[in-house]
Amino acid sequence: MPGLPGPRPDPTTEGYWLAAGRGELVIQRCTACGVHRHPPTQVCYSCGALDWEWAPHPGNGTVYSYTWVERPIHPGLAALGAYNTTVVELDDTNGVVRILARVTDVERADLVVGLPVEVHFDPAGDEIALPVFRPRRARA
Amino acid sequence: MIELRNQAAIVGFGYVPFGKRGEYAERGHLRLVVEAVTAACADAGITPADVDGYSSYYTPIDPPELFEAFGAKQLRYTAQTWGGGGSSMCGAFQNAAMAVATGAADYVVVHKVMTMEAGARYGQAFGQMGQGVPSIGGPFQFSVPYGLQAPGQMFALAARRHMHLYGTTTEQFAHVTMHARAMAANNPEARFRTPITVEDHHASQMIADPLRLFDFCMETDYGCAVVITSAERARDCPHPPAYIASAAVGAPFRYGNALMSFYNQPDEDFASSGQRAVAGEVYRMARLGLADMDVAMVYDHFTPMVITSLEDFGFCAKGEGGPYVADGNLGLDGPLPVNPHGGNLAEAYTHGMTHVNEAVRQIRGTAINQIPGATNVLVVGGAGPSPTSGMILTGSPG
Repeated sequence: MPGLPGPRPDPTTEGYWLAAGRGELVIQRCTACGVHRHPPTQVCYSCGALDWEWAPHPGNGTVYSYTWVERPIHPGLAALGAYNTTVVELDDTNGVVRILARVTDVERADLVVGLPVEVHFDPAGDEIALPVFRPRRARA
Repeated sequence: MIELRNQAAIVGFGYVPFGKRGEYAERGHLRLVVEAVTAACADAGITPADVDGYSSYYTPIDPPELFEAFGAKQLRYTAQTWGGGGSSMCGAFQNAAMAVATGAADYVVVHKVMTMEAGARYGQAFGQMGQGVPSIGGPFQFSVPYGLQAPGQMFALAARRHMHLYGTTTEQFAHVTMHARAMAANNPEARFRTPITVEDHHASQMIADPLRLFDFCMETDYGCAVVITSAERARDCPHPPAYIASAAVGAPFRYGNALMSFYNQPDEDFASSGQRAVAGEVYRMARLGLADMDVAMVYDHFTPMVITSLEDFGFCAKGEGGPYVADGNLGLDGPLPVNPHGGNLAEAYTHGMTHVNEAVRQIRGTAINQIPGATNVLVVGGAGPSPTSGMILTGSPG
C-alpha cells in the first residue's frame, strides 16, 4: 500500500515473499510431522523439529475476522479512505493457518466473517509481493 | 513447596498528578519516577535509599539509574517481565513478592512512567517502526505492510470475532465506558468525569471498526510507584498491608504474541483476553475463588477486552460478557463491583498502575467509592501479548 513499508525478508521468511513475487502462495510445512505453520518460524510448534519445507497452497480460505481502519496511523494512508485488514483462515491445512492480509475487490457491506476468498498478489518491489485476497467467485 | 501466598505485601504507593499526553514531556521520565517513588516510600514509611530492589514490566528508567539517583547503599535485586505495555503488569508484582519473601531484597519498587512527546502516540508505536524506511523486518513484516499498525486495530480483530461468535454488540461495548464514566464522576483526579450515553458512544469517531473513540482509553502522562516488602516488615509500616495472596503470569496454547503478529490461537482464545490460563493460577495460588472477591480491578484499555477479561476470569460464561456488562453488573451494587475509580477509560491510562493503587485503597478503606469492608481484591492485567497476568490482594492474610 502506498506510504507503508514493505516486508524485509530474512532467511526464514524470504521463501514466502519470493514465492508471492512469482505468483505462488507457499506455507511452511514441518518435514518431520507435516504440520503447516505461519508466520514462518525456525521451530515446529507441534514437534520441535528444525527442518521444514515450503508447501504450495492453492490460496483458498475464509474470512476469520477483520477491521476497517477509518483513522489510519500512517499519514500516507489517509487519502485511501477506510481500508480493511483481514485475518484469513486457509482451507485444507494440517493445523490451523491464519494469515493477516487484505481483501480487495469487496464492498464494505460484503466483507463478513465466513466469506470465501482466494489469494492474489500485490507487488511490493522487484522480486516480492504481498499475498492479498478477494472474494471467491462461484464456479459455473 | 514454598508458598508465596501472603508472604509479601504492598505497603506504599505514590504517583504524580495525571497529565494530558505530552504535558510532562519537559519534566522527563526520570524526574517523574523519582517523584513517584519518593511519594510511595513516604506512604510506606521508608526512604528511597532503603529501596534495594526494582521489578518492572517495561520502563524507560532502568534500575541502575534509580538506584544511583537515590544514593541507596546496596542494590540487591532486579527483575523484568515481558508482555507488552500492561499485559504482564501483575508479573512485576509476582517477581517483587518472590524477592522479598525469600529475602533477596527488603523493599522492592515496581514503577511505571510515561510521557508522550508532542506528536508521539502509543498507537503509532508499530507504524513508527516502519516510517521513513522502505521495509520492516521481524514479526511485523507480516502485519505493518498491510496497514495493521496499532493496538486498537489489533484488538478490533478480537472484538469482531467475539461479535461473530457470540452476538456481542457495540452497544454492549458502550456500557463499559458508561460504567467507567459513572464511577469517575466523583473522583476529582479522574480525567473523564462526564457521563455518556450509548448515543454519545455511537456518535464518537469510528477508529477501527468496530471500535470507536469511546472504546479507547486516552493516553496519559504519568508516573506511578508501589513499594512491596515482606509480610513481617509490612506489619511495621504505617498503613494496613495489602497482602499479595497470589500473582501469576501465563498464556494458553499458541497464544504467542497474540494479535500483535500472530493469529493462530484456538478460537476460544482468539476472541478472548488470553487470560484463561492465568486466571486458574491466580485463584489456585490464593486458595480463593471469584465468589470470595469484594471488588475487581480490570485493565480496560479497550472496552471489548474488559468483556473478554470478565469471561476469562469467570465473572460469566464464555460469550456472555456483553450482556453481563450491559445488565449493570459492574456497578457498586452489582455482584462484584469493577473499577470503582473509573479505570483506564475514565480516570487515567497508566498501564494498570492505578488499578493497583485503587486495590490498595479499597483494602485500606480509603477509596472514594469504597466498597464496605472490602478485603479481597482481584487485579487483572491487560489483554495483550504473552504473558498476560493477574493477582489477588487481600487485607486478611489469615
